[in-house]
Amino acid sequence: MPTRFSTVIILLGLLMWPMTGAMAHTWGDPVVGNLDSIGSDTMAGLMLRWGERLEQRYPAVRLQLQANGSATAPPALAEGTTRLGPMSRRMTASEREMFEASHGYPPTEIPVAMDALAVFVNRHNPLGKLTMTQLDAIFSDTLRCGAETSIERWDDLDRPELAGPIDRHSRNSVSGSYGVFRRDALCGGNFRVDVNEHPGSSSVVAAVAATIGGIGYSGIGYVTSAVRPLALQEGDGPAVMPSERTTLNGEYPLSRTLYLYVNLPPGESLPPVERAFIDLVLSPAGQDSVRESGFIPLPESVIAAVRQALGLNVPWGHVSPR
Amino acid sequence: MRKLLPRRRLLIEGPGAWLAAGGVALSLLMVLALLALIAGRGLAHFWPPDIEAVTLVSGERFAGQPVREQGLPGQASGSERLYRTGNRDLDGDQWRWVEVNAIDTRTTPEDLVIIERRRWGPFIGRLLRLEGPEAQWTASDGAALWRELEERMARVSQLRHERDALHNHRLEPLAEHVDDSAMSPSEEDELREIKARILALQDAMQRDHVVLESLSGQRLELSLEALIEVKRPNAMSLLAKLASWGEGVWRFLSEGPRAANTAGGVWPAIFGTVMMVLLMSVLVTPFGVLAAVYLNEVAPQGRLTRLVRIGVRNLAGVPSIVYGVFGLGVFVYGIGGSLDSLFFADELPSPTFGTGGLLWASLTLALLTLPVVIVATEEGLARIPDSQREGALALGATRSEALRRVVLPMAVPAMLTGVILAIARAAGEVAPLMLVGVAKLASQVPVDDEFPFIHLERKFMHLGYHIFDAGFHGGDVQAAMPLVYATALLLVLVIVVLNLTAILLRHTIRARHVVQAHR
Amino acid sequence: MTERSLSPSPWRRRFRYVRDRLFTLAVTACGIGVILAVLAIGVFLVVEVVPLFTGSASTANSDAIDIESLWLPQQYPGYDEPQYRWQANAATDADTPMFSLTPLAWGTLKAAVYALLFAVPLALGAAIHSACFMSRRLRFRIKPVIELMEALPGVVIGFIAGLVLAPYVERHLVGVFALVLVLPLGILAAGIIQARLPWCLSKRVPLGWAGLWLIPWLAGLVALTLGISPYLEVLWFDGDMRTWMDQQLGLDYATRNAMVVGLAMGFAVIPTIYSLAEDALAGVPASLSEGAQALGASQWQTLWKVLLPAASPGIFSAVMIGAGRAVGETMIVLMATGNTALMTLSPLDGMRSMAANIAIELPEAAPGGVHYQLLLLCALLLFVFTFCVNTLAELVRSRLTQRYQRLGGTT
Repeated sequence: MPTRFSTVIILLGLLMWPMTGAMAHTWGDPVVGNLDSIGSDTMAGLMLRWGERLEQRYPAVRLQLQANGSATAPPALAEGTTRLGPMSRRMTASEREMFEASHGYPPTEIPVAMDALAVFVNRHNPLGKLTMTQLDAIFSDTLRCGAETSIERWDDLDRPELAGPIDRHSRNSVSGSYGVFRRDALCGGNFRVDVNEHPGSSSVVAAVAATIGGIGYSGIGYVTSAVRPLALQEGDGPAVMPSERTTLNGEYPLSRTLYLYVNLPPGESLPPVERAFIDLVLSPAGQDSVRESGFIPLPESVIAAVRQALGLNVPWGHVSPR
Repeated sequence: MRKLLPRRRLLIEGPGAWLAAGGVALSLLMVLALLALIAGRGLAHFWPPDIEAVTLVSGERFAGQPVREQGLPGQASGSERLYRTGNRDLDGDQWRWVEVNAIDTRTTPEDLVIIERRRWGPFIGRLLRLEGPEAQWTASDGAALWRELEERMARVSQLRHERDALHNHRLEPLAEHVDDSAMSPSEEDELREIKARILALQDAMQRDHVVLESLSGQRLELSLEALIEVKRPNAMSLLAKLASWGEGVWRFLSEGPRAANTAGGVWPAIFGTVMMVLLMSVLVTPFGVLAAVYLNEVAPQGRLTRLVRIGVRNLAGVPSIVYGVFGLGVFVYGIGGSLDSLFFADELPSPTFGTGGLLWASLTLALLTLPVVIVATEEGLARIPDSQREGALALGATRSEALRRVVLPMAVPAMLTGVILAIARAAGEVAPLMLVGVAKLASQVPVDDEFPFIHLERKFMHLGYHIFDAGFHGGDVQAAMPLVYATALLLVLVIVVLNLTAILLRHTIRARHVVQAHR
Repeated sequence: MTERSLSPSPWRRRFRYVRDRLFTLAVTACGIGVILAVLAIGVFLVVEVVPLFTGSASTANSDAIDIESLWLPQQYPGYDEPQYRWQANAATDADTPMFSLTPLAWGTLKAAVYALLFAVPLALGAAIHSACFMSRRLRFRIKPVIELMEALPGVVIGFIAGLVLAPYVERHLVGVFALVLVLPLGILAAGIIQARLPWCLSKRVPLGWAGLWLIPWLAGLVALTLGISPYLEVLWFDGDMRTWMDQQLGLDYATRNAMVVGLAMGFAVIPTIYSLAEDALAGVPASLSEGAQALGASQWQTLWKVLLPAASPGIFSAVMIGAGRAVGETMIVLMATGNTALMTLSPLDGMRSMAANIAIELPEAAPGGVHYQLLLLCALLLFVFTFCVNTLAELVRSRLTQRYQRLGGTT
């Protein structure tokens, strides 16, 4: 994952241009219309906060957000039920194929924020860290990450202060977090059958907060003081807590990028509302909302590159609407 | 004889009778408990709780509103308390669990404020200064500071109002026009002028600042534009709190959601629910009544009709999610998709009807509630004595006349009952809506002054889905919980009122028909 | 205008005749149209599901799915034994998704069974009481209240069950288990006390009003039981019943489990079963019970030996319709379970039901794909199941009505 992200940076870095990260749109631009979005639940809070800002700025914009999970975005994009699909993971090849089959061109991928998938336990649980192998042995029954036996109970961790059954909480399969966790933490294996699947990230946090033996994962933006995030240890490396620093430098093993997928026919420019929205997202104000939602803002250089690639630095009026 | 006249039996009616009575009592107890829980938690949320300044044994100080207390796991004694401490931008979280034993002192100083902000949730701490361009007021000014703050916040909301009006009444029409054709020079000038005024207003809103300090000593400077409400609950009298409670309820009913659906109100959800239900009843009433009239008055009363009747009745028991699947497959993907490619081809790939929306949701629910209306109307029709029909026919009326003039008017209350029951069922149904067009946030209601006024293709918010969404999808369940309770209370109230209406109606019909039958 | 025409002209008569025909025709057409539209649901589902088995699905893997692979355990890579697994999307494109409907069907039925286990005794008890023992005045008031319960939205019940009840039950396990024992005993105790009271007091708390005056008594018992349960827990279970169960009995307790779902969904189906069963009991011709009582039977004996057997088909159909509702309920299961596709009988484990599965996964399934069609197959199964169950119940019920009429009742 970190490697993939860095390829994006390098690719976009080639396009980099000296510029400010400020918005090209300002207050008072004539932006009118609907903004639909269907997709990630992890990013729901983020989308809502961006939407609130957009609405404050352009009261004539109508927002319609649906957020049940990242996997709902590709069918909606392919079926044409939306033009904007936030996803907390990258599209898989088959999802891309599905999109291309119905539209004839690939979807446009826009990184909008960074996230660390935090693994957390109940606040009364003294556990401080887990190795990635142990994490796999707790959550999966295929043990693809190299564990000998699966960890059935807390006692199996061989720590005297830990005992009792493990209550495992996960997102449901619609979720991008589910996909990323399965790929990066379970090495592509399968979840155990007795892992609770929740419809939303906050419901995972609430469930772990309510159960002493609980363990779960979610985007770092959802972690509250009722649960305690764990440090993760890859191989013999140091145990790393999820944080802005460890995510940006790729030390934290479960870091990921959050994307916005847009249905943009090649050669066309974005419709005004979507343009204003993406402009806002990739502005300091938008990245402030990222922080407010508990996620991690993109590095400035990436933002600048993406803005350049999308042609967002032209102020309103210099580009004809549609 | 002994059996007939028991002298000293333990129980007069035997244990079974008492257990049966317990069934009634327990069911009622559960309903009451559920309603009490929802009502209590939902209404208590708007009451401004005192802010406690807590000093821990370790010497650390913080301020917060106590939320609840629960026992420590695995121990019979000892408990921990949850505080809402706010200040998420400063502390990283707005909740704090504290073991009760670790608390040294708790006081409620009057100068603690809780400030609702546009971003980062509430601030809890002290108000140090209010700074304007010409002067500043500090906490030592006492009442003058608060008066000034109030005035200046009123000014900001006045400016905001002005800006939005400018946006809605001048900029929007212009933008719609520009969307269709190229801009003329005069329009360009107008646009520039409006933009300049909006920017000026925006600047004016940023003029005044407050300086705040948390109990841990961190300072924060905020423009008044970022504040929504400043309250000092510890200094409020009971009456002031009551007023604040009323205001809270009103804002909950009249405002839209904020802060990723964890604060603010549910107005768009109320509107969406009502709109969807109204549209559904407009769709379901004529069709339901027609089908019932056909089944009861027109169709030959043979074996086939009986089978059809049973079939229709049974559809009321088919799970609602199945209707949702049907709505998604047929209405959204099927009909909606073809409508789009036929009539809105120039909008593609942006969908118009090819996505879930108000129309499809109403249609799906209309289908779902059709059996309810058919059954109720049929019952009403069957109750009308045949003498009425025969009388009309004997006087020379044709069948259609007898139906329209005599039978249908008599069945109106039954139809109404059916429609009300259908509405009550539809208002609480969420599962099918999740597939056909309910949205997490649809900021504007689907009715406005723009042609054709009702926008059937738009997505909408729904009270029931809002409960699910805020409780399970929202950013912070803890913060959203009171709102979820309040929303649940609202939904239950709506449904209870509708059902009571239906029950009352049914009683009056029965009474009327009994009278008629005896005449 | 028409009323005035005492001797209508032939034209008018003709006009009225044509209008009548047209009207009838329109009503017929609309009526049949509406009924067809409603029945189209089944047709739509069948049409969409058929390609799944014939193999003409327009997707990459267009192999026909055989029924065996959906219902029998399958051998998947990475497992020693054949498994029942539902894992609809693969982690990578190289993996195959696992589609087994067995755990979903299992979960659906399990949830329904636990809901009925809770609901049937309560609902039938309530129905028996209100049909046979309750004072008429109270009965007319209580029936609407219990019917109101039916209108409580599933999403509200599910939210309470998932976010309030489940954590509460977990923290107060001892208290909740104790309630199962305390409540029936408490009710009987109330009966005994009532029988021993002096006449002037006991006539104020008659059995006919027990549905009402038992409420505060039971509420007090519940509060007392839950209040002392932490001390019981320390006394008997070393302070934590979950740990104790885990260590002594080897039972694993999942927070979101069948017990909680049973409670919540039972709550939702009580009113359905109650009102149908009560109708059936109240509809038994009065002559039967009067005859029995004239022969010296007590009220309870009359009920047990006469009323219940006579009304049993009606009660059966009430339970069937309740089961139909429990099988299809979506939001409660979605919110109150962990949606774990387990196949255990234990009330302490979770489950995943078909309805909840559709609600979760349909938005992500690409239309026309295998996953989409399988979800539609689930919907079809639900449709067929509930339809059959309801039809059966309806037939039984109409038989019953005829029987009552034959027995000379005044139904």
